[in-house]
Amino acid sequence: MDADPRDRPFRLWASVAILAVFAFSVLFGFVLLPIIQGRAAGIDAFTSICRALGLAPGSPAAPQPVSDAKAHPTTRVAWSAGLMDSLARPSAAGASLAGACAACHGKDGRSVDPKLYPDLAGQSAAAIYKQLSDFKSGSRKNAVMTALAQPLTEEQVVALAAHFASFPVRPLPPAQVAAPAAAIERLVARGDPARAIAACNACHGDRSGGPVEAPRLSRQSTQYLAAQLRAFKAGERRNDIYSRMQSVAAALEDSEIDGLAAYYSNEPL
Amino acid sequence: MTHARNLTLAHLWIGFIAFAIALVLGVWQMWSRSPLPAPFLTASTYFSSVTAHGTAMAYVLTTFMIMGFGYYVAETSLARPLPAPRWAWIAFWLGVVGTVMAVITIFSGRAAVLFTFYPPLVGSVFYYLGVVLVVAASWIWCVLMIVAMGQWKRANPGRPVPLAMFATVANAVMWLWTTAGVAAELLFQVIPAALGLKAQIDVGLSRTLFSWTLHAIVYFWLIPAYIAFYTMVPQAAGGRLYSDTMGRLTFVLFLIYSLPVGIHHLLMDPEQSNAFKFLQVALTALVSVPTLLTVFTIGASLEIAGRLRGGRGLFGWIGALPWERPLMLATGLSFVMLGFGGFGGLINMSYGMNAMVHNTSWVTAHFHLIFGGTVVIMYFAIAYTIWPSLTGRAAPSLAAQRTQLWLWFVGMLVMTLPWHYLGLLGQWRRVATFNYADPIIAAWGPWVIVSLVGGVLLLVSGLYFVYNLLQFAVTREAHVPAVLYATAVHPPARVPAALNGFRLWNVLVAVLMVLAYGYPLAQFFVIDPPGALVHRVDQRR
Repeated sequence: MDADPRDRPFRLWASVAILAVFAFSVLFGFVLLPIIQGRAAGIDAFTSICRALGLAPGSPAAPQPVSDAKAHPTTRVAWSAGLMDSLARPSAAGASLAGACAACHGKDGRSVDPKLYPDLAGQSAAAIYKQLSDFKSGSRKNAVMTALAQPLTEEQVVALAAHFASFPVRPLPPAQVAAPAAAIERLVARGDPARAIAACNACHGDRSGGPVEAPRLSRQSTQYLAAQLRAFKAGERRNDIYSRMQSVAAALEDSEIDGLAAYYSNEPL
Repeated sequence: MTHARNLTLAHLWIGFIAFAIALVLGVWQMWSRSPLPAPFLTASTYFSSVTAHGTAMAYVLTTFMIMGFGYYVAETSLARPLPAPRWAWIAFWLGVVGTVMAVITIFSGRAAVLFTFYPPLVGSVFYYLGVVLVVAASWIWCVLMIVAMGQWKRANPGRPVPLAMFATVANAVMWLWTTAGVAAELLFQVIPAALGLKAQIDVGLSRTLFSWTLHAIVYFWLIPAYIAFYTMVPQAAGGRLYSDTMGRLTFVLFLIYSLPVGIHHLLMDPEQSNAFKFLQVALTALVSVPTLLTVFTIGASLEIAGRLRGGRGLFGWIGALPWERPLMLATGLSFVMLGFGGFGGLINMSYGMNAMVHNTSWVTAHFHLIFGGTVVIMYFAIAYTIWPSLTGRAAPSLAAQRTQLWLWFVGMLVMTLPWHYLGLLGQWRRVATFNYADPIIAAWGPWVIVSLVGGVLLLVSGLYFVYNLLQFAVTREAHVPAVLYATAVHPPARVPAALNGFRLWNVLVAVLMVLAYGYPLAQFFVIDPPGALVHRVDQRR
């Protein structure tokens, strides 16, 4: 097809032109620019070329900043595929450990006194793991839970979370309360941008794109939910990453806290 | 036309129906972001709507338009029946099934991942499979276009392929290269995650693979407009194409320089290094060459037409052009929008300025102006131009067509110019609502409302467009066949083989892609970076 000798010069020069432009860009971007930038920043030519290519970390144009800042993590929980995988598998170890928890949270994860102790049934394993780990590390404090969580090993925390997550959520009591106020439903679905309150369901709703540890709120008791929101508001509870819940709770009125707590405790699934 | 009549009508109607629905969603999204209270607004409805809008506009409208127009060009420019029309219909139904799958999944709230996917967000697998079916349909189209050109060349040895078909095949070849990136991302990363086979996604790799597709896909959408510029507009203006060779070079350069440039979409991403960003930005700058070639060639072609019609003086020929013809008018309006959008694009590809505008409405405004403006107004004009030959009826009202095109132009500028400005003020993109109680954000409010007004004008214009097409069914006047494609001033008797086929250019694209994307992709396998946990948006937590 390309046999016509008249075509050869076109083919040759087209290729030369395209590759020459490419070579110029490579020379400029891979060699000249890093050397010039590196010289200004006191970085030797080889290092700055490696940095420009991504073979060495850091910028070719600036020395790496040094920081003495100490990190103060909100939580020590770090999610990984391995952790998520083990959280998805309830084990016999979890069941045998659960006896100590049952006194308050119930044998099947349904709290013996929902006003004081949350239901674990219906909760995600990630949410239970996060809170139990935070009690263990001291990120979240509670006289009873801290003492119980501290002696647990990492494997035991995982096993307990997986165990309680395997129970179904408490059914809705037949006696229904009044329908929630429109303002509360609005906070749940849309938040209030004017007060920088994100929609609760942005993280706590079904199929939300929120963080994996965001707990399911449905069917927890009104009293427990309200107490937690007030603890966030007062700064007594602070194991929420980026202070998300503290900043939301601080902006909520007391009546809204009660309204939201009632909304979720009676939420149909 | 043998097979193309029904094929083209079917494809274009699917595209335009998706377009009309997506327009309604688009206006609602602008309403949501404005200070005016919008109905049905929650974060999840907003992001589902954005996903549907993007999918319908970027994948459905474009793919069906390009496929339908390609069949039309293949039969009309080559003057022979399409090879394997059965496969064309199979591709059509694949695309329809894929579209329906994707749309149902989105509206059931299980795929609010936005149309560029954003892993590690993962929605229902049916959404991705729907998109894959649409892409698979377009691959069949690509093969049919390449085969059609090959058959014609064998039947007409030594003769130059008609420019319209050469450009269509350039687009098909480019699209095969283009989709390799997104196909790899979907097939090896996202779909396995959606099926639950993978718990982690290397987001750096998936973003790099998507960048492979992300720039060239825009040229896939754009090329039908350029085909109209080169082959139909000079004829509609009453003149000749200034240079057939310029046209071939333009389409070849688009093929080459739309691909090894995608990392310019990742300027703010940490996973790619400075040197490769520089390289791809330098190559990006070369896209200006075919764009300027086109502005010059079409400008010269129109000047020929204007002077033939009696235009005199430096600018007198512009006034002498037949602006009452919709294709002519759309071209003028399209060039104005290309001018604004092109300058905005130069800012986006400049590293420092990109850092200022990257996550703002500026970028949204830019791609709406370039795609929704420059390209879609030419889709309208192409539809108006070919509809008489498809339906056998003359256009009921050119005035209605012109009004619709003007409405689109005005709406697009009223929407996107304030939108650019809001981006400079710092208005975020990909955000459902704003806190207009904040005094700084409150100052954006009036401009957001102005752009919403532009959006409403676009909706009116889009529906008017569909109405204008439906009017063809009502009119009785028969269509008088006319010459569609322009002749060049010097019609080529022979062109170099390289400008009559794509072998050389495929080799060069392969070389450039290996050099420009080789290490940026290989590093993810060499370094073995940590993956991000898959985050599902389609399951109850």
